[in-house]
Amino acid sequence: MSVILELTDVSKAYDQFKVVDGFNFKVNQGELRCLLGPNGAGKTTTIDLITGRQKATSGKIMFDGREITGLREDKIARRGVGRKFQVPAVFKELTVRNNLRVAFSNNTDPFANMIRFSRKEGRERLRQVVELAGLQDRLDVLGGNLSHGETQWLEIGMVLTQNPKLLLMDEPTAGMTEQETQKTSEIFNRLKGEHTLIVVEHDMAFVREIADVITLMHLGKTLAEGPMEIVENDPKVKEVYLGSEGITSAA
Amino acid sequence: MQRANLYHDKRAQWAAYVVFFAALAAIPLMMDDPFTMNQYARYGVFGILALSVSLLWGYGGILSLGQGIAFGMAAYGMGATMQMQYQDPVSDPMPSFMLTNELESLPVVWEPFWHAHYGILLAIGVPVLFFIIFGILMFQARLAGAFVAIMTLAMLGAWYSMAYDMQPYTAGFNGISPPNAFVAFGVEVDPYSNLIYWTSLGVLCFLTLSIKALLQTKFGTVIQAIRDDPERARFLGYNVAYYQTVLFALAGLIAAFAGVVWVMISQYVSPTELDIFFSISIVIWAAVGGRMSLFGAIFGAMFIKASESYMGDEFQATWFVILGVVFIVVVRFLPKGIAGLFEIAIGFIPYRVKGSSRSGVDTSSAGD
Repeated sequence: MSVILELTDVSKAYDQFKVVDGFNFKVNQGELRCLLGPNGAGKTTTIDLITGRQKATSGKIMFDGREITGLREDKIARRGVGRKFQVPAVFKELTVRNNLRVAFSNNTDPFANMIRFSRKEGRERLRQVVELAGLQDRLDVLGGNLSHGETQWLEIGMVLTQNPKLLLMDEPTAGMTEQETQKTSEIFNRLKGEHTLIVVEHDMAFVREIADVITLMHLGKTLAEGPMEIVENDPKVKEVYLGSEGITSAA
Repeated sequence: MQRANLYHDKRAQWAAYVVFFAALAAIPLMMDDPFTMNQYARYGVFGILALSVSLLWGYGGILSLGQGIAFGMAAYGMGATMQMQYQDPVSDPMPSFMLTNELESLPVVWEPFWHAHYGILLAIGVPVLFFIIFGILMFQARLAGAFVAIMTLAMLGAWYSMAYDMQPYTAGFNGISPPNAFVAFGVEVDPYSNLIYWTSLGVLCFLTLSIKALLQTKFGTVIQAIRDDPERARFLGYNVAYYQTVLFALAGLIAAFAGVVWVMISQYVSPTELDIFFSISIVIWAAVGGRMSLFGAIFGAMFIKASESYMGDEFQATWFVILGVVFIVVVRFLPKGIAGLFEIAIGFIPYRVKGSSRSGVDTSSAGD
């Protein structure tokens, strides 16, 4: 399997405090990786560094054979990195349909898009994504009028429409009901293999459901990495999560 | 949020535009009053300005208080063009205000205005170029909201002072008043005629329909997406600053057209075109009419200016108090302006959405 994303000695510091501290991280093509860790471990910052929202203080980020360290967000996105935010972000005043049309961003030049009538575009992809996200009946609803779960799915759908090589999902099940979480894990299991995913998540039941390999971060570094059973029983991990019951109770 | 109704039907919207402009175009056929035509032509210009604010603010989420910059620059360009149409290269090569300001020869910047086509090209091209540069400066730095409003307002103030102070070139406070009407292709565009009214309305109609069509393209959807959440758009691969700059320049282009037509109507240009209160008024017209609707904004401009000329005389300075109160009420209770009221009212007309998968109904671009 080929490596699609590689972080080498990546650090991010605010003044003296290192949020991400010499972090090394490798993800293979088609893998679904879960990024875990207590609050303040540097998970979201790592996602920010990969997608260009924040610039690394030092280190190197390679994606798909090319360096992306310090590139602007939209350039990284065009290289094939999609991102779902922690607080779901959709276009509130646009319909679900138009949200997905905007996400179909094969051509992002403003002048090219002035002569492009978006309705004919990407119809097939739209159909697939809408079916996957289960939004068939909600196409003409404004993004701002969706329920919380639907908003999460819409954003996942938007990132899929973008068709990135790598998908970064920051807490995709936050605030979802049990049923909604169940549906989301089904979506993710269908995506595995075809797409490469990195999922930041707190919900251990969900992680168990979807993850192949887990990377556990602590204080900006890798604490443990491997399949769930191994990480779970690692004594270092138990210590971080206040000893007693291990990560299972931390959610 | 209300359900889709006739207001959101694309075909009904286009039909409304056709009826609206056809009705306006027919006005001169019903009355023969050159003075009124001049006045109505001015309303057309106010409509064009409101159109530019609706596009930029309503659809793009960028509140510019400096649309007067493009309007004023274009007005000076047009003023210079018309002035030089009057001057004679041999016997009378310099406008009289330059002589009284003791200039010895025509300034180089005035030379291109000997040719009307270059003059108009500059009158429109220079403001657009300025808006591109100004836009790049602001949007690359990711300025938004109140910061853009303050920057544009300050820039407008700077241009006002410049027009005021550079007396030998701009005639300062007195302004430039070309003695003759503009002549295009041998036809004199008399500011007191049906022709001037149709010119103004024609430009308004052309620009409105062009922008309406532009909003149907993917570009139109993307600028609205950027308005809602620039960060999200950026992570989908869109260069937000690029889009905002293009949109800003486009709004500048529209305001520049307004400036050119304005001087054809008024035969006069002075720093008042760059007045801060005037530029803020444009925003008020658009807000009252409904900035989320091109139609609403244009109507707002015409409605307020017409009320002002018919009632302003009676109320004098109180008029501005009334306008201020109306503005506050609209912002607080009617975020979509008069167009929003219209949207609700029209909902009482029975309307059936055709097959939801591919209907022409699209609430996102309500009333555009």
